[in-house]
Parts: sequence; structure tokens; C-alpha cells
Amino acid sequence: MAPFRISVLRRNNVNVSGSGTRTIVFAHGFGCDQSMWEPVAKNFERDFRVVLFDYVGHGQSDLSSYSAERYSSLAGYADDVVEIGHTLGLEKAVFVGHSVSSMIGALATLKAHGMFSDLIMVGPSPRYIDDDGYRGGFSREQIDELLEFLEDNHLGWSATMAPAIMGNPNRPELSGRLENSFCNTDPQIARDFARVTFLSDNRADLASIGIRTLVLQCSNDIIAPVEVGEFMHAKLPNSDYRLLQATGHCPNLSAPEEVTAAIREFV
Amino acid sequence: MHLRKSRRRFASLSEQFPAEDLEDLYETAPCGYVSASPEGRIVRINGTLAAWLRQSPGDLLGKSIHDILSVGGRIAVETHLAPMLRMQGYVHEIAIDLLAADGEKIPAIANAAEKRGEDGRHLFTRLTLFKAVDRRNYERSLVHARTQAEIESRSQREAAVVREQFIAVLGHDLRNPMAALAAGIRLLRKREQVSSQGEHILSEMDNSVARASGLIDNVLDLARGSLGGGLVVERDSAAPLTPVLEQVIAEITVIAPENLIETRIDIDEPVHCDRGRLAQLASNLLSNAVTHGAPNRPIRFEAVSDGGLFRLSVANAGDPIPQDARSHLFQPFFRGEARPSRNGLGLGLFIACEIAKAHDGTLEVSSTEEETRFTFKMPTGAKPPKSGQP
Repeated sequence: MAPFRISVLRRNNVNVSGSGTRTIVFAHGFGCDQSMWEPVAKNFERDFRVVLFDYVGHGQSDLSSYSAERYSSLAGYADDVVEIGHTLGLEKAVFVGHSVSSMIGALATLKAHGMFSDLIMVGPSPRYIDDDGYRGGFSREQIDELLEFLEDNHLGWSATMAPAIMGNPNRPELSGRLENSFCNTDPQIARDFARVTFLSDNRADLASIGIRTLVLQCSNDIIAPVEVGEFMHAKLPNSDYRLLQATGHCPNLSAPEEVTAAIREFV
Repeated sequence: MHLRKSRRRFASLSEQFPAEDLEDLYETAPCGYVSASPEGRIVRINGTLAAWLRQSPGDLLGKSIHDILSVGGRIAVETHLAPMLRMQGYVHEIAIDLLAADGEKIPAIANAAEKRGEDGRHLFTRLTLFKAVDRRNYERSLVHARTQAEIESRSQREAAVVREQFIAVLGHDLRNPMAALAAGIRLLRKREQVSSQGEHILSEMDNSVARASGLIDNVLDLARGSLGGGLVVERDSAAPLTPVLEQVIAEITVIAPENLIETRIDIDEPVHCDRGRLAQLASNLLSNAVTHGAPNRPIRFEAVSDGGLFRLSVANAGDPIPQDARSHLFQPFFRGEARPSRNGLGLGLFIACEIAKAHDGTLEVSSTEEETRFTFKMPTGAKPPKSGQP
């Protein structure tokens, strides 16, 4: 490998723990990083090899690897998942994606056959904006409002700290000094990811996702309403559907036990 | 002990100011308070916030916290704030838009914290809100100004690149017709019978072509330098420098026969240099002396090597360079007072200086009533490789 090319594992801050014959990969969604999965992931360490990672631009990933062009669509993020899978030699692994990661994982299964055998989608949506005969939950104007919110909030991101974080990838404690240090994302990257996420339309891809899939739908989730989860289940050829009692968009944090049980039952 | 003492002081202070009761503080504080259940239902809200939202507190109880937020704020709460609250227990300084009953958006700044039970169970989430209308306008105008500045500086950079590319292409394309003119003049002299008047005109033309070619070379060097390539020098010490400098002096003598050039060349060490570039440097300095020096007074040209140092200087008589002009001499497009017909682009000294730098050398000027002298100095040897580098 060329010395100037950062390794995939460093780029995506890949953390492997636990042991088992099967590997389970947890992928975070829009708005946060791998720490979102910790309450669930720790329950799998005794019988699975557990993989956590950050998408480029999030958490402790390598910011210098960010390219607006590569990450201008979910396919670019799916390429990263495939590269991580190849680097770790994954075969017939379980992919658990939260929110937009559900679709990223689905696209990854199309790019690398055999890498994943089971796909678990937590709060998925193939399209967030309403369309003729389809209810995604948002209008275009409402998504623009979100982008405006991100413009107003740098959420713990401080431009003066950025070089320190970027220059010291091996010193995560530096970012710990930041206010709101969890989920801190470069504001420009957060806006790009919001645009890619909320303007995506992957409805046409659903029919080709052949692997075993579980849709975990939350009650009362404004980001991915129940109808969207049902739509996913109806279009995915090989899917189970489960409505969680957990409310909101982040059951991995608000109800880790329920999510753990649902995943265990499926795999 | 400490705690008890401060409590006692607190108690006596509250006796002194009985009007400040905490229930009233909650209700009418100059900020908004709202508490939400883990499911996001409003369980308590103060009068101040309800008034901002133009609703009665009673109507708001049991509603979703989403109902008092703009849509952007709702998504942000679900995707950013709720996870952060779960993980670190608090979030500070979030800019958020509240949604009043009549649909008006009220910019606010929020701090939030989770109240957890002794067993760590999430009991409810408290939010404290401050109106931030002016602050938000100010912040947005700052962001806007920064975005504008970024756009402008990008477009200026792009324009500068285009301009310099244009100069480079123009300069390059002008070389061919100049070469054709020079060849034409040579052919006329060689093959045609011209009168003495015609011969005079031809040598004037020759001078003009030489001067124009020099200007074009300088413009090209400037464009190359600004385009990021810098001035390219290819240095070696394989051939002697003396004949190259003699050639330059011969050329200048042809162009300006009325100027006597007193020459001393004494180079007895090999000089590690780009000979073409040093010829250009010498030519630029001599042209400068011809242009600005007193007419009919000799120009003194010296090029000597001495103990590892090469020194080349050109001196002319005439008015000294004004003090305030000296600091600008080596900047591009600087033009001093000169006879109008002799005015160039003001690039000669700039290029000479760039050539000096490219040779790890210096170009300095001294100017007195007696003479104005430009002196170029450089080490004759090759630069040793930097230590610590492969």
C-alpha cells in the first residue's frame, strides 16, 4: 500500500471487539457516530465479532479523506462499507444499519455478494420527501428548514479545534474537550450528509435486495413514520417486519434491550 | 460544614427578600422552561414560554415537544439532540426555532439536560430557552458575509489565473512575429542593396525588435512565476560564463551605441548557474542603466569571482533614485521617471531579482550623486544537499 494512502480501518475509525464465528457490523445514521450503537453492540460481544465504524466526516474518522464528490450519493458511503468488509474479510456477516445506514447497507449488499447474509434496518426510509402516491413524511421545504438548522448550529464543532482533531487521529481525548463532543461533525460535511440523506430516493433499489432483511420500525418516529416501514417491508422481497414499542428515531439509545432482543431473534 | 453555613446565609437572605419565591421564579422567569417525558410529551411548561408561543400552559400539557418546534428543529432534535442527551446527559447552546400558535417562528437558544433517577432511569428532559432574534440575525449575517467572502476570493483567484494564462499565451504568440521581423531585417541587410539612410532605419528596427523581444521574455517570466511554476533555472558549471556576458554587452552596444560600457570581466572559478538566466539578468541591468543613466556618461560593468563568491554589478551616472522609490524598485510593473520612448513594462528589475533569488543570490542597489549601482552576488559552488533529507 502506498504510504500516503490512509488505511481503510483508520479512515473509518473501525473498531473490532468480541469473538464469535459470525461478524455483526453496526452502522450509525445521520446525526451521530458509532457511539450510538454501543448500548446494543456490547450485548453481542460474547458470541459475535462486533464491528463499529464512523462514516468519513463523522466521529473520529479521518476528515482529510472526505471528498464531496465521492460522498455525493449513498453509493459512495456504500463503497466504504464494502472496502471495510473486504479489509476485514467479511463473509456472510450481519449488517445492522440505523436510519440512512439501512439503505447504505442495502446498496453494499448489491455491490458485494456474499459479504453479508442478513440485513437489519432500524428506522429505514427509501425516500424522505413525499411524492405522488407515496408518503415519506416531509416536504421539500421542510428539508430546507433542516438544512437551515444545520447552518445555524455547529453543534460543538469548533473551527479552531478542527486542526487539532485532524492532526491527531490517535488522540481522541482531544475531541473530548469539546462541548457536545458526541456526534460532532464538520458543519459542511453535516450539511452534505443531510442533503444526500434527505434528498435520496432508493425506492427502485428495494426490489433487488435479495438477502434476508428485518425492518425494525419505531412507534411514533417522525423521521421514518410507520407507513414508510410498511412500505419497505412490502417492497423488499425477503423481509420480516417488526414494530418496536420504542418511540422516537433512536431506539438503539432509548430502548437498547428491545433492539438487542429483536436482532437476536432474527439472526 | 461549609454547606450548612452557606445554607444559613441563603436562609437569612430569603428572609430579607420574601418576595422572591421559587414558584414565581419558575413561572415568570425571563426565560422559557419546559420539561418533557422520555416519550417527548410536555409535562410542565412555564408561563413565559407559553406566552411566547401564544398558548396557555394548560393547552400545551401532554402535547409533543415537536409541536412547539419548527420542522427543521424536530428533525434535529431526533437525529442530533436526543442521541446527545442520551449519551452525555446534556446539550448546550443549541440554536433552535420555536413555533408559535400562529405559525410564527421564534429563534431561540436552548440548553437541555436529562433528569435521571437514582437507578439511572430517564425521568424527563428539561429545556431552558432564551429568545435570540437579534443574535440569530447577527450570526446569520456573519455566516452570509463569510460565504460571500469565500465566493469572491475564489472568483478573484480564478480571474487572476485566467489573466495570467492570457498574458502567457499572448507573450508566447508574439514571439513568432518578432522572430519573423528579425529574420526579415537580417535578410534585407544580407541580400539587398540599401542606402545609408536605409541602413540607419534597419538598425533602428533591429533595436526595436530586440527591445520588444526582451519585453516579451520578461512578461512570459512574470506570467510563469505568478502561475505557480516560479522562475525555472537549470544550473550547471559545465561551460564558462565569460563569453555569454560578452555577448550581452555586444548586443547592448549595438542597441545603444551612444553609451560607452566600461567592462571588467574576471571570472577564474566555475560558476554554478543558469548561464542564459544570468545573461538575462545582465541584460536587464544594462538596459536599465541605458534607460535611466545620464546620457553620454559611461556605464561600468563588472563581473568577478572571488573566493567562492560571484559578483556582477552595473553602475551608471545620473540622478540618484529617490529614497521612497527604492523599496518598490524590484516590484513588478514599477516604472521610474524615464524618457517616454524608453519606458518599458517595469519588469526588468523584478525579473533580475527573481533570477538572483533562484540562484540563492541577492540583488541590491546603492544610489548616490556619483553613481547608481546594482550588485548581484551569488555563491559560485553548487549548494550542498540539505541535511536530513534523502
